[in-house]
Amino acid sequence: MKWFNLLRARLRALFHRETIIDEIDEEMRLHLELEKRAQLARGMSESEAQRTAVANFGNLASLKDAAYGIKGGGILETLLQDIRFGARVLAKHKAFTIVAVVTLALGIGANTAIFSVVNELLLRPLPYSDADRIVMVWEVTPNGRHENTTSRANFRRWREENNSFSSLAAFSDQRLNLTDTDTPEEVPVQFATPELFEILGVQPFLGRLISKDDAVVKEPQVALLSYGIWQRRFGADRGIVGKSFKLHGAPFTVVGVMPPNFQWHIKKRSGTGRSAEIWTVLSMPSTGSGNLGRFLSVVGKLKPGVSATQAESDIKTIEARIAQDEPEHNKGYSVEVKALREQFVGNARSALLVLLGAVGFVLLIACANVANLMLARAADREKEIALRTALGAHRGRIVRQLLTERLLLALLGSVLGLGFAWLGIKALIAISPRDLVSFQSVGINLTVLGWTLAISVITGIIFGLAPAIEATRIHLNDALKEGGKGGAGQSSRSRRLRGAFVVAEVALALVLLSSAGLLVKSFIRLQGIDTGFRTDNILTMVVPLSSTKYKEDGQIVNFFRQATSRISALPDVSSVGIVNYLPLYGGLGSATGFTVEGRPLPPPGQGPSTNVRVTDSGYFSALGIPLLRGRNFSDQENTEAKHVVLINQSMVRQYFPNEDPIGKRIDVSMFDKPNPTEIIGIVGDVRYDSLVDQPEPTAYFPHPELTYDFMTLVIKTKSEASAIAPAVQRELRSIDSDQPVSAVRTMNQVMAESRSRARFNTLLLGLFAALATLLAAVGIFGVMNYSVTLRTHEIGLRIALGAEPKRVLLLILRQGLVLTLIGIGIGLAGAFALTRLISGLLFDVRATDPVIYGTIVGLLAIVSLIACYIPARRATRVDPLVALRYE
Amino acid sequence: MKKDKADLLQGTLDMLILKSLSLGPLHGYGIIQRIHQLSDEMLRVEQGSLYPALYRIEQKAWVSSQWDVHDTGRRAKFYSLTRAGRRQLEIEEASWELLVMAIAKVRQAT
Repeated sequence: MKWFNLLRARLRALFHRETIIDEIDEEMRLHLELEKRAQLARGMSESEAQRTAVANFGNLASLKDAAYGIKGGGILETLLQDIRFGARVLAKHKAFTIVAVVTLALGIGANTAIFSVVNELLLRPLPYSDADRIVMVWEVTPNGRHENTTSRANFRRWREENNSFSSLAAFSDQRLNLTDTDTPEEVPVQFATPELFEILGVQPFLGRLISKDDAVVKEPQVALLSYGIWQRRFGADRGIVGKSFKLHGAPFTVVGVMPPNFQWHIKKRSGTGRSAEIWTVLSMPSTGSGNLGRFLSVVGKLKPGVSATQAESDIKTIEARIAQDEPEHNKGYSVEVKALREQFVGNARSALLVLLGAVGFVLLIACANVANLMLARAADREKEIALRTALGAHRGRIVRQLLTERLLLALLGSVLGLGFAWLGIKALIAISPRDLVSFQSVGINLTVLGWTLAISVITGIIFGLAPAIEATRIHLNDALKEGGKGGAGQSSRSRRLRGAFVVAEVALALVLLSSAGLLVKSFIRLQGIDTGFRTDNILTMVVPLSSTKYKEDGQIVNFFRQATSRISALPDVSSVGIVNYLPLYGGLGSATGFTVEGRPLPPPGQGPSTNVRVTDSGYFSALGIPLLRGRNFSDQENTEAKHVVLINQSMVRQYFPNEDPIGKRIDVSMFDKPNPTEIIGIVGDVRYDSLVDQPEPTAYFPHPELTYDFMTLVIKTKSEASAIAPAVQRELRSIDSDQPVSAVRTMNQVMAESRSRARFNTLLLGLFAALATLLAAVGIFGVMNYSVTLRTHEIGLRIALGAEPKRVLLLILRQGLVLTLIGIGIGLAGAFALTRLISGLLFDVRATDPVIYGTIVGLLAIVSLIACYIPARRATRVDPLVALRYE
Repeated sequence: MKKDKADLLQGTLDMLILKSLSLGPLHGYGIIQRIHQLSDEMLRVEQGSLYPALYRIEQKAWVSSQWDVHDTGRRAKFYSLTRAGRRQLEIEEASWELLVMAIAKVRQAT
């Protein structure tokens, strides 16, 4: 409590300064008066008494000071004084203050913006209970495909036989039509086993969750609504629980509504690409053919104390047992367990950490720049400081005052920086990759503010302390002498310090630039990649048919035949096709096993496998996928199942290396019964999974062979593709007036989205590197310019003695270039060490690419040359008369 | 004057101020007078340095102060001992006695 009373007294004193001084004065004056009277009483004369009283009292002024030191605001008051003084100094040197504040604000703003993303994606707990115990369980296929879905049969055995999970749940996403309302709409639906909700630990907003009792599938099926769809499609009806609606023609009963911010979406292997709007029960029949298909994603909650690695080896043991019991479908399969955070963030983690490092470097450069400015200004201030020292100010007191001034600068910088960050975050969200969950909720919150405050204080100390200590290390005599050349500005210590700042800035900028250069090169490689299809003037849209209306395969095929023929008749359309999953769509597309007729059956699980796509003949011409050999589907094969198939080059290379596959028959295990199909042609490879993954073997079936009721239209137009969308929708409505479409996008948009993460990283790192280079250039310029100012006298003398301007120019340039070269040397060493960290973000570019490094070194050398050249030119124009007279 | 100063051991000034106030409120000058009287005119506190000491004691809340009218008709600040101050005085007197005793023992040793 004592310190509290004291603090209160000090604070009070801040506001009653005058009163306190007056009272001390009055008290002491009375004392003197009384003493004087005492002396008068002893018979002294008036003046003698007065003198004695004053002498007896002691040094009045210093005693008053001491008294005020005790009663006044103390350290608080000096702080306030320092702040006031600092503000006056900053206001007086406007240009300096603006440059310093903006420099710092750029550094601090970039840091705050990136940190807010890191905070959201990497640090903030996931919105599920005990989220660190939630993991995904995936299979790894015999040919090494990771994060693959599993089958009902396997999931059931995992669930029954494991010792590591308190609960395991399976789910699968699917788009279904919400019918029964005015406008049919396709919505993402998640079929899940009831344990899912227990694992995520959510509470419903209304009603109840899906429970174990719902697991037996019955009519009508139960459903949970997302908050969004409840608001949008069900009029936010609070009495919704118990009401029913129709999904794909089948009745469902609403049992509950999920809370507003609830999201559960695992992008990998999702059939919808969006967070579910409706949840319902995943049926788990104990027998039947549906048990073997691999389409389930599995999530589990680890028992307390069980690690993900332990759980993985547990499930691996079970998987090995399954492979023994059911070799035909499971031989060669393995499993992997992934933490939820890793699943969500994936390789964005390394990208974010690299970006965080990059902005850290930018801030360091900003600090070095401001410190440099400070050092230069220290020369101007040395007289002021010398004067204060001469008047008795302690060195510590002056350092404290200078530090306060710098912290003030840092705080101003951080306020402006927060503004920059706010804008920056908006821009980040606009360019953020769509597949990063919860990116939309990135913003400035308390954690972020705390971070900003922390870095600005640290910044203030970093850029402030060294120059502040340096500034007080001055020789009083030299500094006070008019025209003295000694002091802070020219001492070899501070010259070395300034040189060190330049070296550090160049080195940091080089590391950033080389990382950015590698990313840019890799992005260019990504642009130039051969995807195997065209993207210009192509419109795509998903057309999901209602399964109640279109029950027969024939009806479905017929709908799409009609649609494609109508659309191809539109004036601007050159070709139309359909496909079940577009390239780069990131959908399911699991590898499926097949057998080749006439070849001996391979041991179970070791047979060949292929991706399967369902198309028609128009798809290949619309996307410009070349037919390399054989023939395309005929019109008849487009309408009737004639048991034919097209395969791609990879499939030929991998499975028919030394033979002609055309005319051979393969049986892909996608069908209910054996269904050998004849290979009629070979088409070019297409990258379906992602831009960076190599094309995989792919078999194309015509639509009647394997009929899907939702297909994507691919329309090649003669001019701008998106303009055709209304006409296409009109044609579809003329076939079926209720038919919805979704995901209307041009192929270029699809491409851009799949490149968005690479673009995001490249853009940001490039931006930060540019910022770093700019700041470094400003820094070099500042140092060299100041150096010329300091050497004016010397240069004047050289010129007076006949030095040619060229020699003077070289003199100054050499000084700057030596520093730059040292910086480049250190930077190269740093870059070689650090760019290894970004190798995971690179595509088709080595982290040691000599061209990039060469370019960057050249670029930095040129920038630094320019930054040195301007002051060097100034040096050649020094008028020897003026320079010498100054002395 | 110099002699007086030497007599005042470091830290004893606080005790003397507290002691002088234990007999009743006083203003600054009065405190010096009273210490002078109580010590049979042997101790004279250096006048100016009384005030910093007094303020420090006040900050510790051992004494409280009040403006009142002095005999001269001018305003004077009168200090009085607080309860905490009275306790502190006891502590300081006790430790002073201990010190005196200890020194006496040392001096008596042969």
